[in-house]
This record gives sequence, structure tokens and C-alpha cells, in this order.
Amino acid sequence: MSGAAFRRVPGERVLAEAAAVRHRGGGGGGSVRGTLYCTNLRVAFVPALGAQAPSSRTFLHSEYDVALPCIRKLVAASSFAKPKVLTAASSLKFVPEELAVHCRDFRVLRFLFHESGLQPQAFRVATAIAQAREAAAWPGDAETALEDDDDDEEDEDEDEEEEEEEEGPTLLFESLRDWEKELKRQGAAGWRVSAVNERFDMATSLPKYLWVPSRLLDKDLKRAFAHFEERRVPRLCWHHPGGSDLLRAAGFHGASDPQREDVRCLEALMLAGHGQCVLVEAAAELPSLAELQLAHLKLRALCLPDSPVADDKWLSALEATRWLEHVRACVRKASEVVSLLAGRRCSVVLQESDDRDLNCLLASLAQLLADPHARTLPGFQSLVQREWVAAGHPFGRRLGLGRPSPRDEAPVFLLFLDCTWQLVRQFPACFGFTESYLLALHDSSFVPYFSTFLFNCQWQQGRTGQHRASGQTYTPVSGWREPVAVAGGGRGGAPSRWPPTVWDWRLRYSRQQRARFRNPAGPRGGSAPVGPTAPQPGGGGGSAAGAGAVWVLAKGALWPQPQPFPWRSKRLPRWVPSLESLGEPEPEPERGPGSSPLPAPPPRGPLLPCAAGPAIRLWRRCYLRAVPEGQRGRFAPSPAGLAEELRLLQERLRAWRPAAPRGPEEPAR
Amino acid sequence: MLGSGAKAAKPSFVSYISPEEIHIKEPIEKEVNPRLLPGELLLCEANTVYKYIQEDGSNRGTYGKLVCTNFKIAFLDEDSASDDNEPQFKNKIVGENDITLQCVDQIYGVYDEKKKLLTGQLRKYPEKLIIYCKDLRVFHFCLRYTKEEEVKRIVSGIVHHSQTPKLLKRLFLFSYASAAPNNTDGRNQTVMFDTLEDWRDELERTKGNVKYKAVVTNEGYRVSEKIYKTISKPPYELLKTDDLSSSLPSLQDIQTAYTRFKQLFLIDNSTDFWATDVKWFSLLESTNWLEIIRRFLKKAIEVAECLERQHTNVLLIEESATDLCCVISSLVQVMMDSYSRTKSGFQSLIQKEWVTGGHGFLDRCNHLHKTDKEEAPVFLLLLNCVWQLVQQYPPAFEFTETYLTVLSDSLYVPIFSTFFFNSQHQKDTNTTGESLKIQSGPFKFLTVWDWSVQFEPKAQALLSNPLYAEKPKPDKSQRKTTRFKHQRQLSLPLTQTKSSPKRGFFREETDHLIKNLLGKRIGKFINSSDEPHNSFREFYDSWHSKPVDYHGLLLPCIDGPEIKVWAQRYLRWIPEAQLHGGGTIATAAKILDLMEEVQSLQVKMDEEHSQAISRDVQAVPMLRNSARLSSLFPFALHQRQSIKPALPTSTWKDLEDEDDLVKRDDEFVDLTGDML
Repeated sequence: MSGAAFRRVPGERVLAEAAAVRHRGGGGGGSVRGTLYCTNLRVAFVPALGAQAPSSRTFLHSEYDVALPCIRKLVAASSFAKPKVLTAASSLKFVPEELAVHCRDFRVLRFLFHESGLQPQAFRVATAIAQAREAAAWPGDAETALEDDDDDEEDEDEDEEEEEEEEGPTLLFESLRDWEKELKRQGAAGWRVSAVNERFDMATSLPKYLWVPSRLLDKDLKRAFAHFEERRVPRLCWHHPGGSDLLRAAGFHGASDPQREDVRCLEALMLAGHGQCVLVEAAAELPSLAELQLAHLKLRALCLPDSPVADDKWLSALEATRWLEHVRACVRKASEVVSLLAGRRCSVVLQESDDRDLNCLLASLAQLLADPHARTLPGFQSLVQREWVAAGHPFGRRLGLGRPSPRDEAPVFLLFLDCTWQLVRQFPACFGFTESYLLALHDSSFVPYFSTFLFNCQWQQGRTGQHRASGQTYTPVSGWREPVAVAGGGRGGAPSRWPPTVWDWRLRYSRQQRARFRNPAGPRGGSAPVGPTAPQPGGGGGSAAGAGAVWVLAKGALWPQPQPFPWRSKRLPRWVPSLESLGEPEPEPERGPGSSPLPAPPPRGPLLPCAAGPAIRLWRRCYLRAVPEGQRGRFAPSPAGLAEELRLLQERLRAWRPAAPRGPEEPAR
Repeated sequence: MLGSGAKAAKPSFVSYISPEEIHIKEPIEKEVNPRLLPGELLLCEANTVYKYIQEDGSNRGTYGKLVCTNFKIAFLDEDSASDDNEPQFKNKIVGENDITLQCVDQIYGVYDEKKKLLTGQLRKYPEKLIIYCKDLRVFHFCLRYTKEEEVKRIVSGIVHHSQTPKLLKRLFLFSYASAAPNNTDGRNQTVMFDTLEDWRDELERTKGNVKYKAVVTNEGYRVSEKIYKTISKPPYELLKTDDLSSSLPSLQDIQTAYTRFKQLFLIDNSTDFWATDVKWFSLLESTNWLEIIRRFLKKAIEVAECLERQHTNVLLIEESATDLCCVISSLVQVMMDSYSRTKSGFQSLIQKEWVTGGHGFLDRCNHLHKTDKEEAPVFLLLLNCVWQLVQQYPPAFEFTETYLTVLSDSLYVPIFSTFFFNSQHQKDTNTTGESLKIQSGPFKFLTVWDWSVQFEPKAQALLSNPLYAEKPKPDKSQRKTTRFKHQRQLSLPLTQTKSSPKRGFFREETDHLIKNLLGKRIGKFINSSDEPHNSFREFYDSWHSKPVDYHGLLLPCIDGPEIKVWAQRYLRWIPEAQLHGGGTIATAAKILDLMEEVQSLQVKMDEEHSQAISRDVQAVPMLRNSARLSSLFPFALHQRQSIKPALPTSTWKDLEDEDDLVKRDDEFVDLTGDML
């Protein structure tokens, strides 16, 4: 009984294997028989032929695979000895009957070697995993360039349909075209794409292309870099159809000494043509990275199957982790930002000392709330690509999968996914994607062969790519790669470029699984571009600059900021506040019981989530996966199932009456 | 309807109004007349009462008239006069500004910003009246602009009629029943268990007739006014008794916990809400209410285990067998019998276990305000427990959480007899008692199960679960096989009691189980030395390791994270918890749309097949544009959208207040004036 062929990723070597192992999954099913492999990259389990429907097979098994850096704890158990935590240093003194792999993504995989005659294999595999885990190389490290294996795979005859359909592709924001396309979609007149950082010589951690006010010339723009931490200048994230702009920037560089001319440029950049500018200190009221990491660790401990917390103390234990408190703080702050954007015309500048963590989170959450396009599946992926990947969120360090010191570890991205899940739960009809999708993204962030999460910034990704440029599966085109991976894809689900992006979901998720990514009850039509916006007082630098008011958002209120920049200098021009330039606040909707019983629908208005205690919940399907009882029996016949039934019925009806035209009652879907 | 005035003039056993009160029935403006039910009498009223909109600390509100009748307290403003302002989900009996007298929980008066509980005689009259309702609504009325005379009358009237002890016969139930045209046939699918046939049929249905037969020994209530209950299942010889009063929280515990729990939701204003919000989870935990729910669910699982696995009959014992017994026996049946998870099945169950079972609704709900000591939300506890099951296994239930919510509200609507007697005996004696001989024969009361009394058909659609996994066919042979399969599934070797079974990673396969007897336990429940607990845990785990059969045994998850707050019931009036365009209703609308299409297509296919059939498909057009709905649908008082997020801060004032802005700018200029 040989298992299905084990497909290795480039550079992968099998270190040990054991056949006829049983894997015990959640979801109410029994155990699955198959082969357990330990490679230099991951622990993989391949179900035996016939153990699984062929259509549910994928290139990389999302359910059974765990990358070595994602393993948190290995426990071997036997009927004759105490359960033992395995490390490379400790030697296994008994033949394990069961092996439990505790993963960082909250899964616990359990493998059972129950057939007799397996002892040597079981012993070998368990030891191999323990050692490989220590030796595991972080594929992001430059020195461990993956060698090409020339391992030609059997073509799976899985007829793939193009999935992107009407919703449009995911933009990777590696090419100029993507930046231009998105800027156009947002209808941000008065802004342009600047290629000033194309060679990363302005700021290595910034993307190649930046959105800046049209009237600000590159030569003026260059004056601004020196005055921000890590040279991360203010730049546009999102343009509100009503005219406001959301910008993000690093903190002011304390030691720099701006000249008068520089200050003019800074103002032009930050006010972006608006009469007023609101500085939002991202770190205020939000947890520090250390607090976040601590909360996540506590949460993980609480959600383990052998957590010692009694059932009647669960709620206070949950509160004590402070994780949900942090989620609430983020959701609340993002809604404040969105209300600012929607309420008046201004520029809102998110400012964080290095602009690489909480700014990513706030910028993307705010867009999820305010921009319906970001709530479609490709829109969301583009958002993550732009505000996290291209913006230089240090995924490698934060996820803690690599070598670097654990001090840098902080689950900022996971916090963002949790916040997104809260929004999906609160507004289930407003999102094109589902909880299953978020879960897949959550798990995938621990898989170390996706370029998306491998690198700390675009510059690093480019450098790692250069090392192995020759003879690889992608072709460098004039210095950058064409974003083909998502749309294209090789036959049989094998990636067309290596490392692939996480958005190539076919690699790890079967068609059935991917069908659950899309929310059939979500908005229809997806991404109608945000309509052309009212003309606005130009995004340019010149005219309006110097006549702006600067405010600071703190503790949910706005405070005047007489001194926008920290440098004390006489050279600063006087900031003349002009009341005329204050945009008029949005007229309040009619109040009182005299108005119609239902409010006017907010078709394109922002989502205003509730951040109150009862409204923010624990993401149980993610965090409680190791507690099997919590996961079973609640997969109701989903809307997807209903939609499917509807389709079937329509088909059958048509088959019965081949001649008859479609009746008017039949829905045109 | 307004003919009730004439009726009241006749001598009647119901006399709510003293002659002085009749004087105040002056003619009022035509458009704000209260709508009165048959038998309902206006007792007192006050004009120019100002009702605050609850949402924020501001003093916004509307002027109107506050009235008190023998049925309800109602606030009438210009809005209530116009009919085009009807909410989509409307209760025909109790409007959104109506509070039935039985629904009033507590009344506070505000004197110089100080709240004081109002109970009996009043010396001073408050400037503000706060009414807390048992369905957790909170009303704030300002009486500052009302004539002093009217204030006195309305306040003492409301306090008197809602808070002071009352005779049973004075319940509105009786005036309604004698005045209302008796047009309901009363016979719906719900089995009322008031005839011998009903009991026989039920025994037949549950296959209990092998051992049990329906006996008529208690006819005329000679034997006992209350009846002990056994849950009867096919022929098990063993009998296990379980004294619930020693193994479950007492009524007092339940009442205390609920009193604490509901305080979290009876919110005066935004500030209060955000104040509790910070420590939400620990506050919730400290009320102990969720823990009580967990313990009842756990007990029900234990009983189910005895019945399913140990094949023992269980005799539940309690001093009166009309409180905790009702909860546990109903829960067990909901878990074990899929018929109890249909609407008519659940209603029959309530009839059987609670109404004819002799639960003292009058005392437990304190409808008559005789004594506070008897009060305990036992029935509400059952609904809370069932809600846990409904939200854990939605497809297994034909009804929705909205159904449970309106059922819990109906506890306080005294036009239905269902929840207004302590026992069947009490009902019968009061219906046909001597004193009523002069009346036109025995009363015909309405039953709460006739939902059309309260809701229009389109509103009733929200009570049924569109995703209910209906039972394939009532095919008897099939039914039997599922039962067999079920028993086999659960009959784990009982001999294990000697050497305690231990847990490994793989729990369910028997060979592993045996193997694990030797093995080491890894997991959460390491020290399970006491046998009963262990066998419970094993039963629970083994059930949860299998796929769910929505028509078979259903066990709730009772682990810490699984017991939740019934948000719809408890948070529905709190604007801070409202999500515009969000909540489950947003998808429910789409699901209903889909269901409708599926149904219409199925009808079409049936037509194709056999030419004649054309069933009426119930159209559900009300939810079409779900974008307009908020998460609190179908409840929230005033739904409206505001751009501002609910923030616990003073947020937007700064930006909006232009004057303030100017002031600040001045300061700002001063500060920076020397910078040039």
C-alpha cells in the first residue's frame, strides 16, 4: 500500500519517513492513513491512495503539512512511558506510539504509529523531526538559496477554472502599472506615482513606487526623506471619494535639521492640498509590540487543550490575556480614523515611529471599513500586498519563524487578521470573503515558502531573488518581476514561480476548500471602482501649503497642534489657521422618531463596527482548533450549499424543458 | 374597540377604577387616543410628558402623553397616531412604546438628580420617571412640564397598578377573555396535554406504552395538585433517582445570579455602558449566570447519559418537582427527541412539562406582586439553555433565536393564559369557579402558541429557521434503524468502571480505548478519580468525536468558551451594540431570498412532474434590502444611522463646535505669535 507520490518543493530533501501512519484530524472524521515524511523544510503527511477524494488533493497539503519553523512543541507518547517533549538535544528513550505536533498556528497534529512492526520507523521519524527542527533553515536567509531540484511532477489532471472572473486580479504592487492602476481606481486626482525610490536609494524599506501629491516634484520630494525615521516619508494610502486622504509616515527624525525649503516640502506633502491635517499617533492607545506578543502567548496558552483554566473561570482568563482588549483598541481607532475621513475634508496622517507595524494595521483596517473594494477577495489581497508586503512590514522578524531574536517577534499581522475577522463577523453581508479564507491566510503566514511572508521589504525580496536569478522559474524583466504568479500558475497547481506568493491558493487548498473562501452572501458585483470624485482643491503642494491647521487625534478627540514638527526652529513659518479652510462637517442625518423608521441605506458609507465588550469575540475557529469538541458539529448548511442547490435545481429544470426559454421568475444570476 | 368604556359601566367582577379615577377621563385630542384592547380600560393619563431617546446623554426626545390602563403603560406621541410609520416586525398587542403592567421590573423616580426606587405610597412626586422592564427596555420620562395634578395621578397610578399586590382575578387576562370575541379556534399543531388523548398519543409517539399507560387517577385533582414526573423511555428495568435540589443551584441562586446579570444590560445611558465595558468578561463571569446555565446543561447531559447508555430510567426528584425538574426534563427531551426541536414539538413540550406540569408561573414571574421571595427566572433559564443549543446547532432546530426571544417576551403579556397560572388546577378552578357562574360560561383564554395574535404572517416568518435540516420522511422503519445505530454507537463497555479508562490522543476507537487503559493520560481532565464524572466525560467526548446527526441525540458543548450571552435578548435595546447593515440578519436576508428561490423552483419542478399541484410559496419580501437593516433587527427602538462611531469618549465635539474652535485658534495664535 504505497502512498500517493510525495511532491517536494524545490530544495527539499526527505530525511525520514514512516508508512502506515494514522493521522487524526478534527472535524468529526476518523483517522486517515498515510505516510509521514520529515524533510529539511517541513513535516508532511501524505494520505494513502484512496484515503481521500482525488479532487481534494493539492500540491501542498494545507491540512497535514507543518513547516519546521512553525512547530512549537513535539510530544511523544507511549503506553509504557511518560509523554516526553522532544528536542534535538534530548534523546528519545522509547518507541513512540503517538506523536503530537503543536504548531504556532494553534493547530495540534496527532500522528499515531499503531501498527506493530513500525517501531524503528516511528523512532527514526520522531527523532528526525526533533533534529530537523533545530537545523531548519529559514528560506529567507540569503545563504540558503534553494536549489532547483528539476523534479518534474506528474501532471494532476485537475481542470482548473480561472478563478478571478469578474473581480479582477490581485495587484502585487511590484510594478509601476499596479500602482497606477490602483491610484486610478481610487480616483485620486491630484496624486501621482513617483518612481523616486525605484532603486531603493531613497529608503530601502519603502516600496519602489510612492504616491505623492502631483504638484510636488521629485526633486522637492527628495528633500523630505532625511527628516523621517528610516527615511519613510508621508505618502498616500487611500483617497476617500469625498476628498479626504489617508497618509502614512514614520516619526519625525529627531536629529535632522530641516531648512526652510525642506519644511515647505514637508507641509506640501502632509497637507496634500487640504486646509487641515490630522496627525494620528498610531502607537497611542494601541498596545506596544511587546504587549501584543505577551497577549498572544497568553492566548495560546489558554487555548491549548491541556489548559488548566476551569470552565467557570474561562471568561476572566480570556480577559486577562488582554488579546481582545487589543483587538478592540485597533477596531476603535480604525473607526475613529474612518469617521475623520468621512466627516470632513482633510488629510489624515498615520504616524508611527518606524511606520512598519501598527501603521500597516491601521491603514488597512481603515480601508476595510471605508472602501467596499477592499472587502472583496482580490481587493483584500491587493490591500495586504500594498499596506503590508510592499510597505515593508518585517514579516520574517515578526512571525518569529526565523533565526532572528525572539525579541522582534510580535503578531501584528495576526492581530490584523483577527480584527478583520471581527468585521466579517459583524458585517457578514459586506465581505466577499469568509472566515475560512482568513483562516487559510492565518495558517499560510506560518508557511515559509511564500514570498509574501518571507521578506522584510521589497528591497530584500529583490536581493534574495537576484542571488538565484539564473535558471530559475521566473524571468527578471527590466529589474522587476512581472506579477504573473497569481494569474498564471503552472499545470497541475504547481507554482509558476518559486517562491510563490501566498495568493496562489491552489498550492495548498483544494477546489472545495477554495469554494469556501468566497462569501455567496457577500456583496455582488464586487469592485465597481469608486466613482469619479468631486473636484477638490488640488493635491498639489504649492498654493495651499503654509495655510493649514494641524490637529492631533488623541484619546478619541482632536487637539490643536501648534507645532507640527518637533524641531524647535525659528525658521518655521507661522501656521496660520484659517477657518475658511475647515471643511464643513457632514450634515448629521435627520434625527428623532419623526424620521422614517429605517435609516437611509449607506450603500457606500463606511462600516462602523462596534468595539464594545460584548461585540468583540474570540476567534474560536482559529484559536480553539486544538480543542476538538469546540470545532465539531457546527457547520450548518451554508449559504454556499443553498446556492449550489439552487444551481442544481435550475439546471434540472432547464434539462426537463429544453425548449422552453427561461421564465421570468427564474433569477438571472 | 373603544366601546370598552360602555362595557366598564356595567357591573362586573372586574373593577379596576375607583370613581375618582373616572373623573380624569377627560376628552383628549383626537389623534393621540390610545388603542385599547377589548376589556382594556384607561385608568389615568398625563399630557406633555417628555420621553428621552435613550441613546446618548443628550436631552433629545419627544413630547407626548403617558397613559396607564389595566393592561399597559403607554407613551403616545404624534408618531403613534400615524399608521404609515409601522416597523417591519411589529407586535400587534404590545407596541414599541407600550409596557404591559407585568413587564415592569422596577420604577425609579429622580429627585434632584438622585434616583429613588418607587414602590408604594409616595409623598413627593419625582421630576423624572425611569421604568426598567423585564424585557430589558429602559424608559426615561421627564415630568417637569406636566401639570402637577397629572404627575400625581400618573405616577401613583403606574406604581400602584404595576408594583402592588394584586388578586389573580384582577389580571387583565380575565377582562380580556370576557370582553374579547372568542374567534380563535385554539387548535393548532401544539398538543396542549389537557385531555387524556393527548397523553396517550404522546406515549404512543415515544414508544413508552410498553410499560406505561396513561392513567386518569388525578382527574379532579384529588390525588395531588401537582404531579411527579418521570422521563419514560423504552423498557429499561433500572431506575435511577436524582435529587435535583441537592445537585443543582437553588432557586435563590438562580434569582441572585440573574438579578446581577441583567444589571449589565439595564443601561441608563452611554456612560454607564462604557463603564461596564472595560471589564466586560470578568463582570459577566462574576454574575455567575453563565455558570448556572452550564451546570443545568451538564446535568441534562448526565441524565441523557443514563437514559442512552446505561439504559436506566431516571426519576427526577425535587420538593415540588415543578421547577428544576421542568428545566432538566425539558432540556433532556430537547436533546434526545428531535420532535422537541420543531416548533410544534417544543410548544407541546412546554405545555406538557411546564403548563400542565404545574410550574408556578405566577409566583416565579411575580405577576401578582404577592411576595418577592418566590420570584426566580426558571423558565427564562430553560430558554437560555435551549438558546445555547440553538446557536450551537442551528440546523437542528425548526425555530430561531427570535422565536425564543419573543417567547420570553410573551411571559409578560397577560392576554394568554399560558403563563398566568400556577397549575392546571388553578386554571380550571378559576375558569369555571362558582363566582363566575353569572358570566357567560367558562372563560376561553387565548394560548400563546397562536402566534397570529401577536404577529402578522410576514413577521412570523422570522420565527422559523430557513436552514432547518428537515427530517427526511416520517418513515417508521427508517426511524427504528437510526435509533438502533444510535444505541450501538453509545454502548461502550460498562465493565470499564473497575480500571478507570484513561485518555490518549485517540479517544474513540474501542481498541485504542482498551489499549489506553495501560497508557498515560494526556489532556485536560487528568484527575478524574470519581467514576461518575469520568463516565460522563467519556460519554460527552465520545459523542463529540462523531459527526452530528441533527435528528439524533444532541449534546451541547459546555466548555468554558462555549457558553455565551444570548445577545439578541439582552443587548437588543442598547444602541451602542447596534451595527448598521451588519449582524446575522444581513446574511439571513440573503438566505431567505435563496430559500424562496429554491422553494419556487421546487414548486415549479413539482408542477412539471404532476401538472396540477401549485402550492403557495410563502413570500418573505420584508427582508429584501438588508442594507437598511441593523444588527438589532427585528427589535431596536429607533433605527437610524449616524456617521459617528459609538465611542466612549467625547470625541467629535471638538470638531463640531465651531465656537470652541475659534477660541482654541485664538489661543493658538497667541501661543505662536512670537514665532516669527
